[in-house]
Amino acid sequence: MILRSIELESFGRFRGQTVEFRRGLNLVIGPNEAGKSTIAEAVPAVLFGTDRLERFKPWGRNVCSASLFFEGRGHTVEVKRNLLTDDVELVEKDDLYHVRSQFSGKAPFRGRSASCREYRELLEKLIGVADERLFRATYFFGHHPQSWSGDELALKLRTLVSGTAEADYAEILDTLLEEHFQLTRSSPWGRDKQRDREYETVCQQLSEQGDEGAVPVFVEIDNPARDDSQVALDEEISALTGELEFERQEYEKGQRYIERFRQQADINEEKFEPPAKVESVKVEPVKVEPVKEERPGTKKTLAEKLTAAGLPPSLTPQLPEVLSAAAEIRQELAALQQPFSILHGREKKIPQIPWMVIGCLLVLFVTLSAVAFWQPFFKTPLLTVVGVCSVALLAWASWRQINRNKMLEQCRKERGLLEQKKGVAQQRQAELSERCDALGLPSSAVDLVRLQKLVMTHRTLLDQYWSATDSDDPGDGTGAEVVDREPSSRDATESVVEKDLLKDDEAPEELRQLEARLADFAANLQEKETRLQLLQAQLKSSMPSPGAAAEAAPGVASQQGPLVQEISVKSAISPLQKRKNDLEDRIVVLRKSINLLADAVDEFSRSHLVTLNAEAGKMFGKITGGRYTEIKLDENMAPSIQVDGRRWTPVDHFSRGTVDAIYLALRMALAKVRDDGRSLPLMFDDPFVHLDQKRLAKTLNLVDLASADGQLILFSHNLDLGKRAARERWHVVPLDGDAVNTTPDEGGEHAGQLHLL
Amino acid sequence: MTRLLGSAHIETLAREESVRGVLVRTVIKQSEFADEQELQLLEDALQLLLKRFQAMDGEAS
Repeated sequence: MILRSIELESFGRFRGQTVEFRRGLNLVIGPNEAGKSTIAEAVPAVLFGTDRLERFKPWGRNVCSASLFFEGRGHTVEVKRNLLTDDVELVEKDDLYHVRSQFSGKAPFRGRSASCREYRELLEKLIGVADERLFRATYFFGHHPQSWSGDELALKLRTLVSGTAEADYAEILDTLLEEHFQLTRSSPWGRDKQRDREYETVCQQLSEQGDEGAVPVFVEIDNPARDDSQVALDEEISALTGELEFERQEYEKGQRYIERFRQQADINEEKFEPPAKVESVKVEPVKVEPVKEERPGTKKTLAEKLTAAGLPPSLTPQLPEVLSAAAEIRQELAALQQPFSILHGREKKIPQIPWMVIGCLLVLFVTLSAVAFWQPFFKTPLLTVVGVCSVALLAWASWRQINRNKMLEQCRKERGLLEQKKGVAQQRQAELSERCDALGLPSSAVDLVRLQKLVMTHRTLLDQYWSATDSDDPGDGTGAEVVDREPSSRDATESVVEKDLLKDDEAPEELRQLEARLADFAANLQEKETRLQLLQAQLKSSMPSPGAAAEAAPGVASQQGPLVQEISVKSAISPLQKRKNDLEDRIVVLRKSINLLADAVDEFSRSHLVTLNAEAGKMFGKITGGRYTEIKLDENMAPSIQVDGRRWTPVDHFSRGTVDAIYLALRMALAKVRDDGRSLPLMFDDPFVHLDQKRLAKTLNLVDLASADGQLILFSHNLDLGKRAARERWHVVPLDGDAVNTTPDEGGEHAGQLHLL
Repeated sequence: MTRLLGSAHIETLAREESVRGVLVRTVIKQSEFADEQELQLLEDALQLLLKRFQAMDGEAS
């Protein structure tokens, strides 16, 4: 997509002027204060809005507006913005000037309203970029070029590089995960969910049925070895045993933690006693060590790790709730997309009435009537036939039109309902965004997904910290993890853990809460113990000796023969068991799908990153005359340069000129790699100020080459560039400091060069 | 039984330079060393994902 023109109705020092550009290399040249940067800045200001209105608002005038006119393959896009009111009009037209899509409404710089989101979605669809920071990091190069650092930006850049709507794949992943967790609480990718789902319920019911002994007896006759329900029982018992063992240890830790907590807070309350029912848990009495000096080194290490992972030292307790609400809204919006697309398909399928054909036919009929009227033979029959045909045609067309109107009306109603639902979801999202703002959290969907992953990292780091401190120091208070692992209070407790970690002003309330949670945990432990005993008894009863089995079902085993045995076994597979098997199959397929898709998206992004690295390395090699030829972007898109063919050095360690060169190379490489027809022109505002003569010459050659397949707009005050522009036949837009002279059509194709002569 | 893997459609998809192409290639690679049970699982997973992709493409168009 190329930028055809910028219309500066009232923008900075410009008033009612139009700057036109062409495909290839464009040079906007002029002295300081001529308005080069103003023109360059008009593009992001119009597309995304600005928070520096004072810079662009003309002095003494109460209007500030500009328009951009883009031209792509088979369509044009016009964006007009009033920067004072942030009213935007966006119109996309096809080759025949039919409107394809449009937007009209408010879209402020940092707006989060529904209309703002709608505008950004349209922008994303049309030009692939809906974020000012991303635009500046990819298509724009100013005096202080936007570096590629920052997690949020890195994620967007990765999406842009791979050219895929990563968010769409994230949505598919989300729906698969949602489906998985509707079936089971167990998660192979992290912690299990708290509440039991259908699979667990079915298992529970099955085990209760198994207690009656009906199913296992028949199965035992058929297969004396083991049947599915016994295998399941066995598996459940072993899982429960492992879980219990772990939780017993955690309980001990909890006790130690609370003891230490109490000592630290110097609370002379009654010593915490575990509830009586915990006795069956068989927890050995733990000797409480005197509280040791806390090891600042360990804490420091943890704090460092948290910072390195991009996490704040303390997470707000509301975070899990916010994240889950965000995921819910995201899924809701994703679920709404399908009905919209179906509706759109239906609307498209509604047949058009061929009024043109009907009109032509009517004209033909009229002509025939006239001919019939003037000729002597068959006058009446001919006129009758023509009249009947005309009436029939009109009746048919009217009937079709009525039907069409009905169908359209129905679609409109359904769309209205869907829009209403979408509006409600968006309203909730806006409220959530406000809540996020209030909590100091990012509010975009991508950020929240990322945050969810970071929270998992946070938990892992805390777990590592506590397990490390526990192994070194039994009295170091790692027992908070007990509470932390206790399902009902896991998330809220983490903040308590952090509080303990990072500050020592524990309140008695917190101690009481921890004690209550530990008591709950103990009760839960007790329940599990009971359940384990129950399962063991059940397994024992379901595995009688061969003699006992025959005794238990003498009629089946000895009298009715193997056929009846088989029928009995089949009837013994209850609907519940069948449901359980189906659920297991579905869960396994879902897990496999999720893993396959996640790996595929990852590999796809990586492969594009490799291409970008190679392309940028080649360009950087040309700029530096072969001194550096390898660039590597890490996961956070931070570039490193290979020095002497061996070690990789982060780009920050190099001079400003080299840093400028690498970011120029990256921008040009990205424009080359990302060729999906939505790329914007590269805009370089005096990018060569830090380059020496040698690198400047090479960079100019590269820029000239890079512009061949697209569009590059170079803003400069350098008169040498002007001379080169005349030689190379670049399109030149001269600015003289008083007025802009930008009408290339007036003097023919080379009018832009004339002033240089 | 007709297999999804090995069909002409899957071979066409495997040549795509897209996430879907990478996915199909991964499944084909994994299927080379899979036993019957695992093969069935891979096919089921692939089928599920292709359906979702189709739905996504429908939305995009």
